[in-house]
Amino acid sequence: MLRAVLGAATGIAVGVGSLTLARGAGLIIDDGQVLGLAYLLAVIGFLFGIGAFRFWVTWAAGRQVDPAEEHAAHGTAGDWRRYFRFTTDHKVIGVQYLVTAFLLFLIAGSFAMLMRFELAQPGLVLGKEAYNTVMSTHGAMMITVALISIIGGLGNYLVPIMIGARDMAFPKTNALSYWLLPLPILLVAINPLLGGFDSGWTAYPPLSQQANLGQQAYLMAFVTVGISSIISAINFLVTVFRMRAPGMSLMRMPIFVWALTVTATLALIATSVVAAAFTMLLFDRVLGTSFFRPSRGGDVILFEHLFWFYSHPAVYIMGLPGLGAILEVVPVFARKPLFAYPLAVLSFISIGVLSFMVWAHHMFVSGMAEFFHIPIMLTTELISVPTGIVFLSALGTIWMGKLHFKTPMLWVFGFIWAFLIGGITGVYLADVPTDITLSDTYFVVAHFHYTIVGGTIFGLFAGTYYWYPKITGRMYSERLGKLHFWWFTLAFNATFLPMFWLGIEGMRRRVADYPSQFGGLNLWISFAAFNIFLSVAVFVFNMVWSWRRGPRAAPNPWRAHTLEWQISSPPPIQNFDHIPMVSAGPYEYGGGVGVPAEGRAAQ
Amino acid sequence: MTSPRRHLWIAAAAWAVLSIVGIVLVAGIQIIPVIASREAVIENSAFVLLTIVSVPVLMFVVVGLAYSALRFRANGDETDGPPVHGSRGFQSIWLGVSFALVIGLFGYGAVGLIDIRGAQSSDFEVQVRSEQWAWHFEYPDAGVVSKELHIPLGERVHLVINSDDVIHSFWVPAFGVKQDAVPGRPTQIYLTATVEGTYPGLCAELCGFGHTDMHLTVVVSGRAALESWLSQQPKPSPQPSGSPP
Repeated sequence: MLRAVLGAATGIAVGVGSLTLARGAGLIIDDGQVLGLAYLLAVIGFLFGIGAFRFWVTWAAGRQVDPAEEHAAHGTAGDWRRYFRFTTDHKVIGVQYLVTAFLLFLIAGSFAMLMRFELAQPGLVLGKEAYNTVMSTHGAMMITVALISIIGGLGNYLVPIMIGARDMAFPKTNALSYWLLPLPILLVAINPLLGGFDSGWTAYPPLSQQANLGQQAYLMAFVTVGISSIISAINFLVTVFRMRAPGMSLMRMPIFVWALTVTATLALIATSVVAAAFTMLLFDRVLGTSFFRPSRGGDVILFEHLFWFYSHPAVYIMGLPGLGAILEVVPVFARKPLFAYPLAVLSFISIGVLSFMVWAHHMFVSGMAEFFHIPIMLTTELISVPTGIVFLSALGTIWMGKLHFKTPMLWVFGFIWAFLIGGITGVYLADVPTDITLSDTYFVVAHFHYTIVGGTIFGLFAGTYYWYPKITGRMYSERLGKLHFWWFTLAFNATFLPMFWLGIEGMRRRVADYPSQFGGLNLWISFAAFNIFLSVAVFVFNMVWSWRRGPRAAPNPWRAHTLEWQISSPPPIQNFDHIPMVSAGPYEYGGGVGVPAEGRAAQ
Repeated sequence: MTSPRRHLWIAAAAWAVLSIVGIVLVAGIQIIPVIASREAVIENSAFVLLTIVSVPVLMFVVVGLAYSALRFRANGDETDGPPVHGSRGFQSIWLGVSFALVIGLFGYGAVGLIDIRGAQSSDFEVQVRSEQWAWHFEYPDAGVVSKELHIPLGERVHLVINSDDVIHSFWVPAFGVKQDAVPGRPTQIYLTATVEGTYPGLCAELCGFGHTDMHLTVVVSGRAALESWLSQQPKPSPQPSGSPP
């Protein structure tokens, strides 16, 4: 860790130093170019310092990699320092991702509190410039939370165990994908010091070309997170397709693994497009190109197309893991097999395919090709068919089940409600006549919070409570978990339901001030939003306190059938002493094929 | 013990009652707060139709959840539920209904879309020019530029929208029109105002910190009043820079 910081500092010093010298020699170099080089070298220096390239350098130099050293990189059970090192154990990396995501969730949540502070009353408190930076930073950070929390956190921890493997296919690239994240996250967090950025996370040019250095910081950070995302996607795909235990056929995979497989495919294909678009935008700013400069023949609509070609699939990259986590939890607490499992798998795949054909519904008022509205309206409305199947599966499983309302199951119910509201309001935005009125209003803000919070964050909480005993070996406090659920869910709905109405009444999104007629409702929303923040404090306390003091968890406290519950809590460092033989599907409740739960992991 | 079939009947009855009540409540309501154009009328009926369709969908899931939460609690029963993996009939109905709804809504939406945005001849043209953070309206026939937009009542108006710097968006809520102003690429919309009066409009696309205050005003009046207003406006001698050919 120390060496990594030194590496980053060296990178910055070399970057700033060399360009300052060049400036002294008479070259014209602007601050953006200095920031660009310093950041690039800082990331490389950081990665070298943390030891990300150690094994590859050794190998490339033709020397033998010491197996003892490789073993040490995996970490020793119970050694807390491995969480701060370049550790190759997927369980450590999962925890690193999860804790990083929750920390970022708190920081981005604080930015949301600042927004609601400004918006509580008509008039200005923070000021317009500060508000735009706060709003943009909140968006950028929450997008990152939604992108990394379930996939990087729960996915890394659980996918290898759920398919009966000892680790991911590429443990070292897995660690690399995590350690690519700290610097860009830090850079976004300090962007107000670099002048902030006021373009929102969408960064449409030309606005994003005229803005401050903070804007450039965001673009560079976004590209870095994109690279990390692509690396991790490749790793997930290879793991799922090559590392499954004998008997674990594709149609016996837990639905959560299926969700992450489709997600990884989307991330692999789509992310490179936005990374390219943001790189072109960076080139426009730093190297003087004109891809998106209308004054020199560039095209602004082109950027919108490229941006949304990734950023709509990205909604599913965020959402699908949440849906997977929810469908994983439902059968366990309904004591019934997952309803229509094959159809649910098919629906995930269909969502994946269709998600590449709907991006332009973000552009119905943008001035894009006129005819294009019609096919995009069709594909966007079509995607509600596979998304609806998630409701079919969840409701079908719950119906006639034996429902145990433990905390994870409460989050499932909260999810179904929130995602339903998100889905129904989405139809108003898919339909061009209504979207013309609604686009760029608070209706959109309410809609995407119902889908992303409803899909991803409710799924994340359901999954975190559900797998907490497995990951920590301790039980969380059920009482605090339920308090968190009710408080969060009521406050969440109290915050975002009124926003639909505000949007229809004509309140624009991304404004620091509004007509006084909206004052009362905005005060209410700010009050409710503050309650969301407080409820998360209960969650944090529960997680931290229970990790140290909670009662020890049994290997399988929920009587679940999937593989991760057939080993100790927390799992041994190699997961399985012997690779298990899988002889049945993951949700055989009610004695479907007569295999007792404990028998599934027979060696 | 209630039989599975009986559970279904009770829930279906609750769903039907709630759906009918809901549909009666939402049918015919005005959703767009102020309606002053032909386009806004079309959009409002789209809103109402979507809301009518949403009610039974919403109620289906809500009743399913609420009924299950009330009636299917384990209450200490540690046995498993029935080993049902799916139901071919129910899944087929679900898929059939979803597809039918989607195709129906798409058809209705496409008709509305063509009605609003399809190519039309116009009676009156205005060049809209935007910059950080102001709007300018140029009337080519009269050779006049103004800060307020004046349009004739009941006539097809053609707006050609430009931007001098970043992306803005021309939005007048009461007319149900919204169109981005894109630098380097003129965009256009048509609208027919149906009620005389003065209406507020605003920039709907984040365009920097002045975005919050980027407003505009539209005045709708009879043709005669419009012509007399136009003739009173000072005529700028040189053409303002940046206006399109």
